[in-house]
Amino acid sequence: MAWEREANDGGEFQSPALERLVRGLSRLPGLGRKSATRIALHLVARESPADELLGAIGAARAQVTNCGNCGAITEADPCRICTSERRDQTLLCVVASPVDVLPFEKAGFYRGRYFVLGGLLSPLDGVRADDLPFDRLLARVERDQVAELIIALDASVEGETTALYVQRLLQGRHLQLTRLATGIPVGGALAYTDEVTLQRAYQFRRGF
Amino acid sequence: MRIVTARLSGFRNLSEAALAFSPGVNLVQGRNGEGKTNLLEALNWLALGRSHRGSRNEDLIAFDRDELHVALELEEDAGARLACEFGLDRSGGRRLRIDGEAVRRRTDLVGRLATVFFDPDSIRLVQGGPERRRQFADQGMAEIDPAYLAHLTAFQRALKQKTGLLRDLRRGAVNGAQARRELAAWNAELAHHAAPVSLGRAEYAALLTPFADRIHRDLAGTDQPLVFTYRPRLESVARAVSSGGDAGVENRSGNHALEQDVSAEMDYIVGSEIQRGRPLTGPQLDDFEVRLGGPDGLDLRTFGSRGETRSAAIALILARSDALDRRRGVRPVLFLDDIFSELDRERTRRLQEMASRLHQVFIATARPGDIADWRPEGLKAWRVEAGRITDIPADGGAD
Repeated sequence: MAWEREANDGGEFQSPALERLVRGLSRLPGLGRKSATRIALHLVARESPADELLGAIGAARAQVTNCGNCGAITEADPCRICTSERRDQTLLCVVASPVDVLPFEKAGFYRGRYFVLGGLLSPLDGVRADDLPFDRLLARVERDQVAELIIALDASVEGETTALYVQRLLQGRHLQLTRLATGIPVGGALAYTDEVTLQRAYQFRRGF
Repeated sequence: MRIVTARLSGFRNLSEAALAFSPGVNLVQGRNGEGKTNLLEALNWLALGRSHRGSRNEDLIAFDRDELHVALELEEDAGARLACEFGLDRSGGRRLRIDGEAVRRRTDLVGRLATVFFDPDSIRLVQGGPERRRQFADQGMAEIDPAYLAHLTAFQRALKQKTGLLRDLRRGAVNGAQARRELAAWNAELAHHAAPVSLGRAEYAALLTPFADRIHRDLAGTDQPLVFTYRPRLESVARAVSSGGDAGVENRSGNHALEQDVSAEMDYIVGSEIQRGRPLTGPQLDDFEVRLGGPDGLDLRTFGSRGETRSAAIALILARSDALDRRRGVRPVLFLDDIFSELDRERTRRLQEMASRLHQVFIATARPGDIADWRPEGLKAWRVEAGRITDIPADGGAD
């Protein structure tokens, strides 16, 4: 449609209200003006899902919170994982973001609990040690008498440094500190593994 | 490795062109400002995934165009052909394809098109500041070992973070114990990358020296040995380098003893670093010595004559080709951009012969006299005038 193409060419709509909607949407993560425009037009069309969405957004905003104990996204505080009797409270997995809990839970093998840091050390983004809940992590380790702390942070410079900080923080305590291994993904072809991952996998090779 | 053909469109001032090159010497003639260097830049872009002159991608697009497109057909030394292309547009879009497959990361390009580029700026390698020599060694090591590039990139990122932290600490009130723990974590991460970077630089200097020495003897007609030596800023690295023999790839990363020493050395001076608000030691301050007459010979960085530093620089740069051949079995394409004006006649002639013996060469010159009496086999000559590239028939070569 001609009017849609015009919008995509970077021009503005003749409707200020629609323009406002497009701008608002394009501020969302992962959306450029092009996608925002497509979504906006879809939302104002006759069979729009907008009302349903509005309700869902309102309900989510009212009900969703972070677990005061572990930081995971939940509607009940403390969350189901923290209150579950079947979860081993002496096994604690440290992750950067609430999203990182999902793959563990989807896989279903993990029987311990979580601690969400809510970020990684990165002075360039203004994130210093004060800005992350390390004191709450220490308190948690004490309270739950954690026997093993598993660090599951990104394999980036910031993730590695945050892991090293946690390691220093817990030095001298009686607990086992472990990290996730890095290597070749299961089902991945060796030929397409990048050199660095391959080198790590080689370094940490194991006997049969 | 050879560039067999090139198709260009929208690259700087160059007109659309489809060119078939000589596997030997390709001579690009034209007055200054007509576009000779632009042609070399277009051909060399894929080697680094960016302009060797440090120009922004956007500035490479012709002023009256919205995008540029360059397609190269490469022939590897074993004879395999490889089609590479890249396109850049004004909104920052970048498309890279190798053999029809999209390439996303710039690091995946490294080593696909191996080149060595000489221009008047690069041959100031010896008399210039240490940053040039670090960049030279880093580029050379990265093209023979991708893991080196990964460590170098991570090191630079961690260094920026630590610099940011020190700047913060200098400005604001310092919670002593926590600041030190935070710095120690950054130091440990830095050391994890600084150790392999340092050992890689030491390895590269050792690898390069015998090749550079041999080239230098031929080029300068001297018996004096040329030595390229790594001078690390970190004392722990200096000790490891002088005591440890040949550090192979496996020993370079995962050398925990060295990582711990480096980390401890960095921790030892955090007090001064907090005071000064910047990192005071590390590979970012390394240098390489270039000596003539053996390990205790004349330090050409400070005492070399103009001619001596240029010969040494050319020998070192050309030695990158031998290092690459030794480690990866690849002979790079050579670009010689207007450097003969920097050399005397004899050295010009010797460099021309050495370069063309093993490589495909692209020579850009504004002075046809530099190559007037030189007619290597299979020579192809091109003229660049106001961005238009035409070939000069073999018989009517230099005018």
